[in-house]
Amino acid sequence: MTLQPDSVAVSAPGEGSRTGREVARRHLGPSPVTAPLAEPPTYYGQPALKASFYGWKVSTYMAVAGLAGSAQVLSLVAQTAGAAHDAETVRRGRYLAVAGAVLGAPLLIIDLHTPRRFYNMLRIFRPTSPMSIGTYVLTGFGAVSAALAAVQARLDGGRGGPALERIGAAMQFPAAALGAAMSTYTGALLGATSTPLWAAAPRTIAVLFGGSAMAGGAAVLSLGAGQAERRALGRVEALASGLELLVLLRFPRRLRQQGVRTPPALGPVLLAAASSITHQLTKEIAGADRVPPWVDAVVATGVIAGGFLLRHLLLRAGNRSAEQPRDYFRFTRPR
Amino acid sequence: MKMHPRAAEYPDSFLATPIPDEAELTAGVKIAAGKRYGFFTDTTLCIGCKACEVACKEWNLLPADNLGLRGTSYDNSGDLGATTWRHVHFIEHIRDPQGSPATEMPPFQSNWLMMSDVCKHCSPAPCLEACPTGALFRTEFDTVVVQQDICNGCGYCMPACPFGVVEVSLDDGKAHKCTLCYDRLKGGLEPACAKSCPTDSIQFGELEELHRRADRRLASLHEKGVDRAYLYGAPDGLGHGDGLRELNAFFLLTAPPETYNLPQAPTRPANRAGPALAAGLATVAALAVAAFGLFASDRRQT
Repeated sequence: MTLQPDSVAVSAPGEGSRTGREVARRHLGPSPVTAPLAEPPTYYGQPALKASFYGWKVSTYMAVAGLAGSAQVLSLVAQTAGAAHDAETVRRGRYLAVAGAVLGAPLLIIDLHTPRRFYNMLRIFRPTSPMSIGTYVLTGFGAVSAALAAVQARLDGGRGGPALERIGAAMQFPAAALGAAMSTYTGALLGATSTPLWAAAPRTIAVLFGGSAMAGGAAVLSLGAGQAERRALGRVEALASGLELLVLLRFPRRLRQQGVRTPPALGPVLLAAASSITHQLTKEIAGADRVPPWVDAVVATGVIAGGFLLRHLLLRAGNRSAEQPRDYFRFTRPR
Repeated sequence: MKMHPRAAEYPDSFLATPIPDEAELTAGVKIAAGKRYGFFTDTTLCIGCKACEVACKEWNLLPADNLGLRGTSYDNSGDLGATTWRHVHFIEHIRDPQGSPATEMPPFQSNWLMMSDVCKHCSPAPCLEACPTGALFRTEFDTVVVQQDICNGCGYCMPACPFGVVEVSLDDGKAHKCTLCYDRLKGGLEPACAKSCPTDSIQFGELEELHRRADRRLASLHEKGVDRAYLYGAPDGLGHGDGLRELNAFFLLTAPPETYNLPQAPTRPANRAGPALAAGLATVAALAVAAFGLFASDRRQT
């Protein structure tokens, strides 16, 4: 038997007989392709996506990679533009970079669910995957930073000559280029997912990570440094914090425009960036000698902590947004 | 009833060897490397029997994950994941579009929406494009498969997937998802879920043929008054935005995609990688230039 919905009449109390087509239309509305919907429906409110399981290990790596990467960038700046006393900043930047690579890589490896196969990351290069790009950025950065730290150690031991110094200075360029990638590729790694909070603002997150990394790099280099070195580093820290603050303030609106209504709570990060700017302005206006040196250290520590918090809170909020089906459905509506 | 002439050659209930090119008998398609295969899931034919879920678990040796009901209609498996590669959605339309309880039923159980969900084997596939080890690859049948002997459990495929399909199992630390029965295709067999589907809601075949079939079915439904019906994931339907060309497993749906937990126009995550990388590098470069100025002015002052 062939079923013909059109020929079946359905009667309802108080109404004449109607065709199946009319009943279906009344009950189920117009075509879904054209229907304007205020709020997308959900499937029992269940997540439409799988959240990543990236937690503190990955966020710590991201922060450490930012500090180490930006330390190499600032080492290059200090090497090319700095005064004689900035040689100390170059030296510390080189050691800090290799320390970051040595600390960061194991964090990533233990976060794998089959850590003994970490080297499988090196069997292919996938240009569409920031994770794959990052694997080679980290490997290259680690290798160049280790070589550069070895050169520096030789120079520090008094066993190098001007030739070795020139080699070190030349190596600083690739180290800084890879350092710039280390500071920011982790933002692209988040952006190139389907997680609404990250996917809604990939550029914003990358700029945030770049600003935060440069502020943190300057802050960590200034810790324990002499008054003369701290002058330029403090200004760089405040400038980068200023950029970070501006982007942070625009971030929730950007997310809302893309349909994501669960913005991350980044108050402490904002506070750290604002304190860095205020502190630097005070020094510029009132004179650096009017502010006790320990305040420098406190503010710098706050900026570094802010960098760790920024990445941790952003990961956590992203994982939560992946479980908000409406955020995702609004984000994936054609605009 | 139409029967493939070759089927008469195998009258026994129990066969000593597999039938060569068995898919020709069960799905009308001979499987050959280099052609594009996929699923067309026509949800207007789904009766919610879950035979596909069971056949999938049996063939792929996947454990049962939840035997109880979840309080979400007759759905008991919840979502696709490491051990659930077919998942039947149950949606009861007990309210009319105005929000008041429905007091009458349109004919043919139209208050029920049932849909067997599966990995979409996207073209291009975001999970594959995210995978840094090469564990995820595109097969000679244009399907997407995880090789568990390569996967190191980095988990980047999970947030990359626009449909929440692929999942890293905490039992073995590797990613798992539907393989579109890669092993069966290699042996000339129709995938287990499609073969077990008693109403042909799940149809397996070459993509061009499936698209033709879907267009015919859609036209016939529209003609019969089901003007809500539309294709999701076909090249010219809903279900793919920016960079996602089509879904090799596509669907015929009769309610907004979100009702079935599907996004309207999911995008290709890899499209966001380049702009983000460029924005990040430009930021650091700009700050480095500014830092250069600050260091240089400090040098002049000392």
